[in-house]
Amino acid sequence: MNPDFIPWIILFLPLLAAVVIALFTQHDRKLSAGLSVGAVVAGFVLSLVFIKLNGWAPAHEVSVAWLTIGDLQADFGLHFDPLSLLMMLIVTGVASAIHIYSWGYMSEDRSLPRYFACLSLFTFSMLGIVLANNFLQLFIFWELVGVSSYLLIGFWFERPAAADAGKKAFITNRLGDFGFLLGILTAWAWFGSLNFAEVNKGVADWKGEHWLLTVAGLLIFCGAMGKSAQFPLHVWLPDAMEGPTPVSALIHAATMVAAGVYMLCRVFFIFTPDALTVIAWIGGFTALLSAVIAVQQDDIKRILAYSTLSQLGYMVMAVGLHGPTQAMFHLTTHAFFKALLFLGAGSVILAVHHEQDIWKMGGLRTKMPVTFWTFMVGTLALAGVPPFSGFYSKDGILAQAAQHSLPLFVVGAVVAALTTFYMFRLVFVAFLGKSRSEAAGHAQESPPVMVWPLRILAFFSVVGGLIGIEELYGTQLATEHTEHAVSFGQQLIGPFIHAPLAVGVGLLAVVIGYAAAYALYAKAAKDPLPEKLGALSRAMRNRFYFDELYQATVIRFHDFLAAAADWFDRCVIAGVGVRGTHGTTELAGRALRLLQTGNLQTYAFIFALGVALVLYMVLS
Amino acid sequence: MNLSLLSHELLVLALGLGLLLVDLWLPVPAKRKLGYVAAAGVGLILLYSLFCVQLPASSPVQYAFGQMYALDGLALFFKRFFLLAALIVLLMSVEFADRIASGIAEFYALMLFALSGMLFASSANDFALLFVSLELITVTFYVLTSFQRARVTSLEAGVKYLIIGALSTAFTVYGIALVYGISHTLNFGLLSGVAAQYGDNKIFLFGLALVLVGLGFKIAAFPFQIWAPDVYQGAPTPVTAFLAIGSKAAGFALLLRVLFIAVPDITARWSNLLIIISGVSILYGNLCAIPQRNLKRLLGYSSIAHAGYLLLGVAALSAAGRSAVLYYLSGYLFTVLSAFTVICLALRGVEGEDVGGLAGLHRRSPLLAATMTLAMASLAGIPPLAGFFGKFLLLKAVVEQGPTHPGYYCLTFTALAGVVISLYYYFGVVRAMYWPGEAADLSPIVVSKPIRLTLYGCIGGMLYLGLFPNGLLEAANQAVKLLR
Repeated sequence: MNPDFIPWIILFLPLLAAVVIALFTQHDRKLSAGLSVGAVVAGFVLSLVFIKLNGWAPAHEVSVAWLTIGDLQADFGLHFDPLSLLMMLIVTGVASAIHIYSWGYMSEDRSLPRYFACLSLFTFSMLGIVLANNFLQLFIFWELVGVSSYLLIGFWFERPAAADAGKKAFITNRLGDFGFLLGILTAWAWFGSLNFAEVNKGVADWKGEHWLLTVAGLLIFCGAMGKSAQFPLHVWLPDAMEGPTPVSALIHAATMVAAGVYMLCRVFFIFTPDALTVIAWIGGFTALLSAVIAVQQDDIKRILAYSTLSQLGYMVMAVGLHGPTQAMFHLTTHAFFKALLFLGAGSVILAVHHEQDIWKMGGLRTKMPVTFWTFMVGTLALAGVPPFSGFYSKDGILAQAAQHSLPLFVVGAVVAALTTFYMFRLVFVAFLGKSRSEAAGHAQESPPVMVWPLRILAFFSVVGGLIGIEELYGTQLATEHTEHAVSFGQQLIGPFIHAPLAVGVGLLAVVIGYAAAYALYAKAAKDPLPEKLGALSRAMRNRFYFDELYQATVIRFHDFLAAAADWFDRCVIAGVGVRGTHGTTELAGRALRLLQTGNLQTYAFIFALGVALVLYMVLS
Repeated sequence: MNLSLLSHELLVLALGLGLLLVDLWLPVPAKRKLGYVAAAGVGLILLYSLFCVQLPASSPVQYAFGQMYALDGLALFFKRFFLLAALIVLLMSVEFADRIASGIAEFYALMLFALSGMLFASSANDFALLFVSLELITVTFYVLTSFQRARVTSLEAGVKYLIIGALSTAFTVYGIALVYGISHTLNFGLLSGVAAQYGDNKIFLFGLALVLVGLGFKIAAFPFQIWAPDVYQGAPTPVTAFLAIGSKAAGFALLLRVLFIAVPDITARWSNLLIIISGVSILYGNLCAIPQRNLKRLLGYSSIAHAGYLLLGVAALSAAGRSAVLYYLSGYLFTVLSAFTVICLALRGVEGEDVGGLAGLHRRSPLLAATMTLAMASLAGIPPLAGFFGKFLLLKAVVEQGPTHPGYYCLTFTALAGVVISLYYYFGVVRAMYWPGEAADLSPIVVSKPIRLTLYGCIGGMLYLGLFPNGLLEAANQAVKLLR
């Protein structure tokens, strides 16, 4: 039996769950949550079954004709190769853990069914992106992901901040998507098809100007810039933390924001070396900028959000450095440990009664041991300490940078040091020392339904670098020579042999970061940096005033345009056009009505006049 | 002489007389139900017409009474049209019966006699039969209009209709006399042979113009529309409905016959006259409807505008235009009758049939509200309803004539402007139903089974004619084949 039907089920199960919850089971909290969780867990199990039956290779696709407009044939199809299959596994796997965790985290919320309906819709959309075999389908699911992200960020829409953050995320993403759509249309115009394989062929046979291809590639990159929150469209992601914490973990750390990177790898063939250089520098700059900002944030979720931005910058940089394998590898390990960190943060936030300021926590290590230790694992993985997964993936990127661009290698090393610094700052302040608030003093460990996903994710954060993920991506994506480690031991020490420089610098960065964090924060009662850095610290706290800058330029200009259009609509269209016509017509009606006096003599007279009129016209 | 050709008329007359006879023996409470008998009878005659009456291919026109009476495709089309209209109106009348103090059986019978007049009109091939059938319709409507003798408005409407109608009849009969005086014939067939030579005879044209006045009165076209709003408002609702569809369609049947069978050579020179009458009717009807609050009066003005729309097809002077008239009338039948049925049920006991009386109708009876919404949308010409496709056909016919006479472009523009204006008041009705200003009477309205079926039929008809126009369009094309 051909197992190709299984991914269709995996794709549509969450949609089914979302529809059933939205239409029928809104009143039943348990059933709604069960449906949603069941759909995604079943998806995970089916993914395993499918990979078992099908194997990772060879790459192939199944599709049905969806619509034909002129000579545009749009298919709805699924593409199977190591890239999409592994991504499918990650999405369903991480989503399963987070769905289960949500059950505990959101159990008190009165709109729980709505939450799970949105979450299932998101899972469906994300799987659609992963499995898409053409640009049109990718774009549709891309937008669906945007919508579900909007719904979930604004989940607590009674809070103005949440509603605004939802809007901000959606609109910023739309900006990037506009470029993305232009890129897709360009590709269609030049290559006559939207299917990835055929566009790939078209690019290989491209005989036109080189720079045209570069433009097309950069337009498509705009889409990734929006979704993966790259500079200058990075402003939405930190605000998106207004959503429930599991949402932050699933959408704004592990999966959706990674969709941009995934898309870049999926259509890697379209990027010319020039385009890749731009991509690498934008990624590197984003990584550095966000890491610097993260150093002076006090909100636990915002620290993690800027860290996510920074790591996404890493991945984009890796793509730009001809290393989609490394990008996807880091994406995978990052999905595990960042989801873990967010869920750990959620556990802490719940324990201290929705307090998010790390300076009001402290001393949580003893009160929440599981949360602390799993959080610690996530931190070590993120910092890149061997043998945690983050070490291997980050090392791959640094090695790639060392090979292609020295400036970017330096940027990477600095970011690595900063990452270690701000993560240990977070750990020292929030978990160690003494409790700084009453809530922190009475904190308790979270229930098992929340703790178990932490343990599972922690496990993968530890071993993620050693289970052959990189090699799997390498079989498909490697544009250059990739080493195949043969044994576990060789895998463990692989990086030390292949790229000793990168490993050395990376480890040095970790040590420097840790030492600085220890010196400044191990015993600190309040943040010592503002005094030391002065204005720089203020700028970091205020995120280098990007929001204010956009407010003063883009939004001011936009408001002006809107005011002008509003004036035109009110005064010219509605005033002169509509009201003028309406008034004249109505007046004419009222005037004509006067003819209808109800008086019979008048009627007869008018009738006779009419006869005279007709006679005049006929006889003259 | 061939009496079998008159089977429709004879059957309807027999049904009407039978009803009057039965009335003598029937107890009073049962009389109301006679309407169902009448409707069933009309329904059977309609089935008979559809399945048993066919024109032999060898002779597409058959004559009776020395060529006074012609049975051709056009006649058959209109006969079925009138039978269907009468069927729905009779069912509506049963709902209305409790508002008629006495003589309900006569009410039904008079409707049947008016119907027989319409059936005769559709076959008129002679000015004598034209006049007789016209009077048979008009005189019965005089009585029907004032049937609610206890209501002053009903009586007033009857009197107004009578006096203006008599005036119009006087003009018509004078015109017929003049035409006969010059041409020595009343028969359309003979007239068509000689009309061309009288094209410059002022007395002949004078006579013809006066006949047109009579027909213009029937279809309520400008400048003979003056009676319509008052009579529509005052008459009992089923009578208004029958007036709006049956009487108007009879006028158009006769108009088509006179213009395109009797004197086609002269008609060809009247494009200016027809364009002006059509355009002004559209503007007048639509503009005056804007300030109306009384729903029946509003529909009265709307019917003037629709006479103008229908005249578009006549003014186009082409086969496409004529078949568009038939098509538009068919859509208009379902639309107008469903609107009046809703008025009949929903505005029971509302003084002055104020539009506000519809407030909250979607809660009192969703079916009625939906029907009314669809009817208004169809009248306004919103796709995919019958009114849209009908207007499309009419305008298409007019635009096609554009190259021959620039007036046709002006007419098209006028008609489009009229459609836009009409959206305002038609949707005012819809707004009154769904977004009432204040709390209204929310008692549910009981819709009887026959009426429910009728409404489903009308909705089906509106949608079917809007979505699948080919069948009826083909029939209409066949029906107007012999006109030129």
